[in-house]
Amino acid sequence: MSTASKPPAGHFTILYFASASSYTARDSENLPAPLPVSKLFEVLEVKYSGIKPKILDSCLLTINLEYVDVTDDSASDVVIKECDEVAIIPPVSSG
Amino acid sequence: METANDSAEALRRQILETEDELKRLKDQLSKVEEKTALEQDGPVTQSKWPLSAEEYQRYGRQMIVPNIGIQGQLRLKSASVLLVGAGGLGCPASVYLAGAGVGTIGIVDGDVVETSNLHRQILHNTSSVGMKKVDSVISYLKSLNSQIKYTAHATHLTPENAAEIVSSYDLVLDCTDHPTSRYLISDTCVLLQKPLVSASALKTEGQLIVLNCPPLPSGDEKGGPCYRCVFPKPPPAESVVSCGDGGIIGPVVGVMGVMQALEAIKVITEGRLGGDLMRAEQRSNTMLLFAANGNPQFRSLKMRGRNPKCLACSANAAMTLETLKAMDYAFFCGVAAPVSILGPEMRIEAREYEGMRLEGRQHLLVDVRDKVQFDICSIDGSLNVPFSTFQGNRALVQAGECPSWLSMTLSPDAPIYVVCRLGNDSQVVAKKLQDSGLDKNGTREIRDIKGGLRAWKQQVDSSWPEY
Repeated sequence: MSTASKPPAGHFTILYFASASSYTARDSENLPAPLPVSKLFEVLEVKYSGIKPKILDSCLLTINLEYVDVTDDSASDVVIKECDEVAIIPPVSSG
Repeated sequence: METANDSAEALRRQILETEDELKRLKDQLSKVEEKTALEQDGPVTQSKWPLSAEEYQRYGRQMIVPNIGIQGQLRLKSASVLLVGAGGLGCPASVYLAGAGVGTIGIVDGDVVETSNLHRQILHNTSSVGMKKVDSVISYLKSLNSQIKYTAHATHLTPENAAEIVSSYDLVLDCTDHPTSRYLISDTCVLLQKPLVSASALKTEGQLIVLNCPPLPSGDEKGGPCYRCVFPKPPPAESVVSCGDGGIIGPVVGVMGVMQALEAIKVITEGRLGGDLMRAEQRSNTMLLFAANGNPQFRSLKMRGRNPKCLACSANAAMTLETLKAMDYAFFCGVAAPVSILGPEMRIEAREYEGMRLEGRQHLLVDVRDKVQFDICSIDGSLNVPFSTFQGNRALVQAGECPSWLSMTLSPDAPIYVVCRLGNDSQVVAKKLQDSGLDKNGTREIRDIKGGLRAWKQQVDSSWPEY
């Protein structure tokens, strides 16, 4: 997971943790910005068929290390901007 | 050779007997020590200092840290902590809590020690294989610090026993390994108003969060969020991966258990066990994310407070200690039933497959385990196409075309067999191969090896390494 570098212009970085990383077979990637947060799951579902029901629906989502509730109406206005760091964090339950 | 075996056997027996004797002596010693401690601290010889001379020495190095001090040490001494799980998290967490002088430590675990636990569950050792984990851990902790009261709960936490067990403790550490127990522990802590330190780890990553802290009653929005506030929806059962299936690096789960002990010590020494104290001093809620290969390795995520729609801790929550007993957590989280999606005509027993190999019939054996597992051991001539590459049908192509992993030299009617570790993924892939048209309208046989490589070991090759 090498994410120290900044994304290219017009992009944001998305980090995939735990099962999200297994499903996408990558730790991170850069996606075009701006992107309304309400559209993020659709974009990912197109790229990774089946990821929404299997992974995303039970995930925690953060933008720049801050929790965003995608199910909440107040999140519908949130837009992911250039250079943002988005993280997909599925629950890890083992130990 | 015979005599060497005999003398090894005699030595093993002698070691076991000596270990039993040692354990008996240790128990005897701790009883004597308990008695002397009672006599020393008893009202008859009341000391003018709140701790014993031994305690000042034992805890001095942490007491002189301003964050702890004598007040923190006394708080630790009067605190009782329950660890649910005596595995990869529970071992390091409990050893630091016992070391720090937490007065009462309870441990819940219904499992016994297995050899595959030993690379990470640091309080168990080779000779404790087969022993109850709670007994193994407590015997270690007693030898570390006999001044602490230890309680073994040699059972799994269930909706029926959870409230009874948790109610006698001030703070809970979730060191378990499944979503069902994570929701059960969180719900119980909310209902009994106990703070909860929850940690987890898999492969190279870990998560840590202090929940229900401050532990205010349900509906009080100043209380800390619970597990359901953070993860309202459990992941689908088939996507839940255990350490046995996904793997775990020892120090990864170790660092999470150590951090868990640290958070517990902070909650106790800062006087945050009670609900009232915390009203004045609200803290921001954070989740710590650890990724061994990340840059940075640690990320601290800012979380929200209680979810106003939470089923457990919001004002609308209808959960009670009575309804908790009837909760079906397995139903809520879903149960990953053994996969059974193929008809008998699409399955082959391992020994039948071996018979076909011996006849020398042309075929392709596709092993869908991860590459790392394939590299550990594989059947001669098998081709590795990991299950993950079939997710989202990436390893498949339009009907009629040939996927890149399939050799052009394989005759179009040569059968394809699919194998995995236990015989679940192999069925899913065999079905996908058939659906994508590789069965050439039924002219090519596509089957999975029933029971996977475990069956291969049982039926064909007893030397197959079990990892």
